[in-house]
Amino acid sequence: MILYGASTVYSIFLWRKGFRHYDHVNYFLLLAGSVFHTKAMILRGLSLERCPVNNLYEAMVFVAWAIVAAYLVLGLFPKLRHLGSFVAPIIFGIGVFALMPALDVPYKDQPQFSNALVSLHAALSLLSYGAFGLSAVAALMYLTLEHDLKFHKLRALLALFPPIDRLEKITSGLLVAGFVLLTAGLAFIPFLLKERPELHVADDPKVPWSALVWLLYLGLLVLHSRFAQTGRRFAWGAVGTFAFVLLTFWGVNLLSPAHKF
Amino acid sequence: MPFIVIGLSHRSSPVTVRERFAFSEASIPQALEKLRHEAGAGEAVILSTCNRVEIYAATECPEREAAARLRQFLIDYHQWREPLRDEIYSHTESRGVEHLFKVACGLDSMVLGETEILGQLKKAYDLALRHKHTGRRLNKIFQKAFNVAKQIRTETNIQRGSVSVGSVAVELAEKIFSSLREHPVLVIGAGETSEKTARALLSRGAHSILVSNRSHERAAALALELGGRAILFEDWAGEFSRVDIVISSTAAPHHILTRPQLAALMKARKNRPLLLIDIAVPRDIDPEIKFLENVYLYNIDDLQEIAGDYLQQRKEEIARCEAVIRDKARALMLASPAGFMGDSSLAVGNSYCQVRRIGDSGVRPSSGAASTESCETVEFSGAYLRCHVAAPGDGRTPPLSCIPPSPQ
Repeated sequence: MILYGASTVYSIFLWRKGFRHYDHVNYFLLLAGSVFHTKAMILRGLSLERCPVNNLYEAMVFVAWAIVAAYLVLGLFPKLRHLGSFVAPIIFGIGVFALMPALDVPYKDQPQFSNALVSLHAALSLLSYGAFGLSAVAALMYLTLEHDLKFHKLRALLALFPPIDRLEKITSGLLVAGFVLLTAGLAFIPFLLKERPELHVADDPKVPWSALVWLLYLGLLVLHSRFAQTGRRFAWGAVGTFAFVLLTFWGVNLLSPAHKF
Repeated sequence: MPFIVIGLSHRSSPVTVRERFAFSEASIPQALEKLRHEAGAGEAVILSTCNRVEIYAATECPEREAAARLRQFLIDYHQWREPLRDEIYSHTESRGVEHLFKVACGLDSMVLGETEILGQLKKAYDLALRHKHTGRRLNKIFQKAFNVAKQIRTETNIQRGSVSVGSVAVELAEKIFSSLREHPVLVIGAGETSEKTARALLSRGAHSILVSNRSHERAAALALELGGRAILFEDWAGEFSRVDIVISSTAAPHHILTRPQLAALMKARKNRPLLLIDIAVPRDIDPEIKFLENVYLYNIDDLQEIAGDYLQQRKEEIARCEAVIRDKARALMLASPAGFMGDSSLAVGNSYCQVRRIGDSGVRPSSGAASTESCETVEFSGAYLRCHVAAPGDGRTPPLSCIPPSPQ
């Protein structure tokens, strides 16, 4: 968290400097942070003998890890390295939220499912949120550059951002990846329900919430590919939908009997 | 072994003089050979570009004499017969090193911070290196110059940004489109600035260019020059669904493209991004168009303002660059073991040149002991010693100039 916090502070410095230089510092801060992050998750998983995605704290930590991991791959390309400046505040924000003590509760009340199935369902769903998160980050970068270009700011030319058409491709690519992962994650639900017939889909707000998120992303992708809803609208769609996920995820999980952690 | 730079550049002389002093690439190896044999340069590199002709040499003569000999070489080699004032300049030792670093960084270029000169300098050095006209001193100085240029490029903004309308337009296009190759360009109005802008886009990969002009003949001629296709002036709007970059510079007294017109065309384009460069005065494109989504409109004032900002920014970076260069040059001079050797050879060179001056003027030394012949013998011995002290064991034959003419 300290490294992610340092990266966030450094990102503010880069923002004020106009992103004029290829910057390794932020990338390495996030890389170093992710090493500790990964180690902590592995240790927790080993101690619990299951994938650590079983309470709200673990879920948030997993989403943050997925976002950082995806960024570290994209950040290998110098022109995409400044995505880190947009990633860091989001990761730091998620991390601070996850550290709230009420979120990391023991599993005692959790419904019992087969470990492999629940781990796959949770991991795929949370990975999809990671992909959606990074697509929102790319969309934010797009909106920044698009605004600067539209209003003739010199920063548009000085900032070492990729061209806006590439940013749009990255956003849509990550959305597609996230959508596939989410679909795969949700596809496990019928199998999970077979293990716990007493749970009713109609009683669980997480089900309509997941369906809504799935439909929102499907709509976004269809509008983009079929109805030429490109550019700023598409970017706002990616940012807005992820903001919705981020802001409602914890509340829905707290209300859900199947996700009662 | 003093390091010396001598030459002329766009700062010191007009092109009419520079072109007379220019070396063709093919003639440089031979000129270097001659330079070392006749002008006493132990090591030498010749840089000849459209904006400068410079000789970088490590010589065993004292600085002032070396400068005079190199200057004479330049004049004789190019058979310059007219009087010269300050056209040819020279810098020695740390000032010479600083000058080389500035050249490598583009700080002495006509377009401040341009990078082409670094490539030309590398080529010139490589040519001299291949023909074995460089040694430890110049190798070290040039390698350092390339390092400093790299450092300046990465750590400062001196080389960032375009200072012409055409290149600003290209930069804008590259911020919107990943590759200009896949994005057709439409030129409306075949004026000079639009032609330059189109050429700048072509130089960065654009390959599909349409030209439309009221005079179709002019459009066809420009299209031919640019390797594009001419279309009738009445038909340009029909091409909007295909093109992604539009350069407009007609002499129309009113807007030729309005917001409602483009809003309809954007639907046909499926909202693909569109870059509009309006360099006409009065403007061709309704400024309200900039409020349409996925449309990026820049007029001549916008482009010039960006170019001006860039230029200002580059000027602000000069002081930073010069400080880096000064430090690096000083460190190199202090750390260079060749400099130490240069000092000892310089002492020999001084006595050699002192004796030579005495010989030239016909005045005997006050001791009165030495005859002309003995002076010349001392000169010969000094020069011989200087050659072998200056380049111990570098495996190269000393330049012939090290051996002075026979006393007879």
